[in-house]
Amino acid sequence: MLLHGGLCVGHLTELVGPSSAGKTQICLKVASGVATRYMGGVVFIDTGNSFSPLRIAHFINQIPDTIFKEVKQNILEKVMSQILCHSVFDIFAMLDVVHQLEYSLRSQVQTGADQVRLLIVDSISSLITPILGGSGSHGRALMISAGFLLKKLAHEHNLAVVVTNHMVGGEGGILKPALGESWKSIPHVRLLLSRDPGSSICHMSILKHSYMASGRAARFMI
Amino acid sequence: MAARGWICTDESAKEMLSRVSAERSLMLLPPLHRVPLRLGNVVEIAGPSPSAKTQILIQAAVYCILPKEWRGVHYGGLEHLVMFIDLDCRFDILCLSQSLKHRLMETSGSGNKVNWEQNDDPWGSGTEEPNIGYDEELFAACMRRFLYIRCYDSFEFLATLKTLRYRLQRARETHGVTAHFLMIDSIGAFYWVDRASTSLHLESNSRKRLSLQSISETVVEEIRKLLLVHPMLVLATKATILGDTYSTNEVKRTSMKLSSNDPSNLRTVTGGPQKLSYREFMPLVWQSFVTHRILVRAADDDPANSKYQSRSIFLSEWLMPSLNFSDKFIVRDAGVFVVS
Repeated sequence: MLLHGGLCVGHLTELVGPSSAGKTQICLKVASGVATRYMGGVVFIDTGNSFSPLRIAHFINQIPDTIFKEVKQNILEKVMSQILCHSVFDIFAMLDVVHQLEYSLRSQVQTGADQVRLLIVDSISSLITPILGGSGSHGRALMISAGFLLKKLAHEHNLAVVVTNHMVGGEGGILKPALGESWKSIPHVRLLLSRDPGSSICHMSILKHSYMASGRAARFMI
Repeated sequence: MAARGWICTDESAKEMLSRVSAERSLMLLPPLHRVPLRLGNVVEIAGPSPSAKTQILIQAAVYCILPKEWRGVHYGGLEHLVMFIDLDCRFDILCLSQSLKHRLMETSGSGNKVNWEQNDDPWGSGTEEPNIGYDEELFAACMRRFLYIRCYDSFEFLATLKTLRYRLQRARETHGVTAHFLMIDSIGAFYWVDRASTSLHLESNSRKRLSLQSISETVVEEIRKLLLVHPMLVLATKATILGDTYSTNEVKRTSMKLSSNDPSNLRTVTGGPQKLSYREFMPLVWQSFVTHRILVRAADDDPANSKYQSRSIFLSEWLMPSLNFSDKFIVRDAGVFVVS
């Protein structure tokens, strides 16, 4: 699924949306897409046990490339081996994983295939929200330094980084993205997802982009 | 003999006038055009998160790196260097190059009027590009005048500032022109990190303790020293991270757009400019260093306004010096335009 040309390598993209808007589905689809089409490694940092290998297999099988069962099985195995999933439940574990990734990328010899191209953090907000206190600055400082670390990784090692965020109630009952004002200036691109209740059609609109006007919307079905 | 040397003239009136007129007020583009700015001023462009602050910097940078004249065509730029320090690490060079290309093509008066408004896709069909004439050599020369540095934390920022004098000196020798603009994207980027950093207690007490206050003082001092040697106009953006009322308006606007297809939706447009409640969070040393401040924010769009449907309207208001009206402007590929 490519929107306006796709996810930018070197950018930090944020998917914001209320629960069950399809954020994890999009992450899985993107992961399977990158692993099959570009033969790149994918690191999936999962905070809510939402990673589903079955779903990824489903996406891969949808691609009508080959007919032979054995070849398809091989492709399936190869693709699955390129997607690494880490389960983390607090921000320090996530920072650990990201630092490990950084060291391995820095010391790695440049190879064409199997190089990590995509990093997904599903629900970075569930890692950060518990530490964001009231007026204390340590939580926000951790959030911002995590954001900078992800951006640095994206820029220096040519990865695309995707994070998901949930929504909270704001003034007047209107939903707004979580993580507050300071987080707003961290992602390069922010995409707002929403789903019509009861249907499988999702809306996506650009909240913020480096050079595209915000407010563009698209409808799609997963 | 020494006394005679002391009362000798330093420069004639002609020399003085030519020197001062070089430092004269830079005619800047909207929304900075209301107040005359000179080298040595420090302008702070503050605003909540999506409010075109970096776009303003990009347009000012394009204006600076364009030549005054090239092969007979008058471009009207300043033909000086721009030093861009990216603390937000979000700068997209594609944006700058597109604006520059657009300006070059516009001015060189090419016959084919490509409608850039509709062709927003940067990966658009390559067939349109090579036919339109813009001077590749000029483009390369202009881009060389744009110097870019990226800093991921306060230490790197301080290190950059301390070595900036040498860098600018070297750039002056390479290009033959001085830097006129120093742009800092998001001066408050490391605010929370610095505030939370514990003071490193080293053995000797003469070493400075690491804190938000000391970092800000050092930053201001370094920039001040730099401005003595290389007079420049400092443009710094600042995201107002302690904002309150504007985060909801932004999502309200987006959700209104999403549901505007539904005809049964009532149009409740909050018209009129709102009073922006703006809370200052930078330390006092930075606040007193700033000589000019302008506030920008996105205005609430009227969904019925189809002309600017794909672009948001932004409001800008000068806080220092305090002017009592606000300008409206939109941002397009060709630049920033004031909408009356």
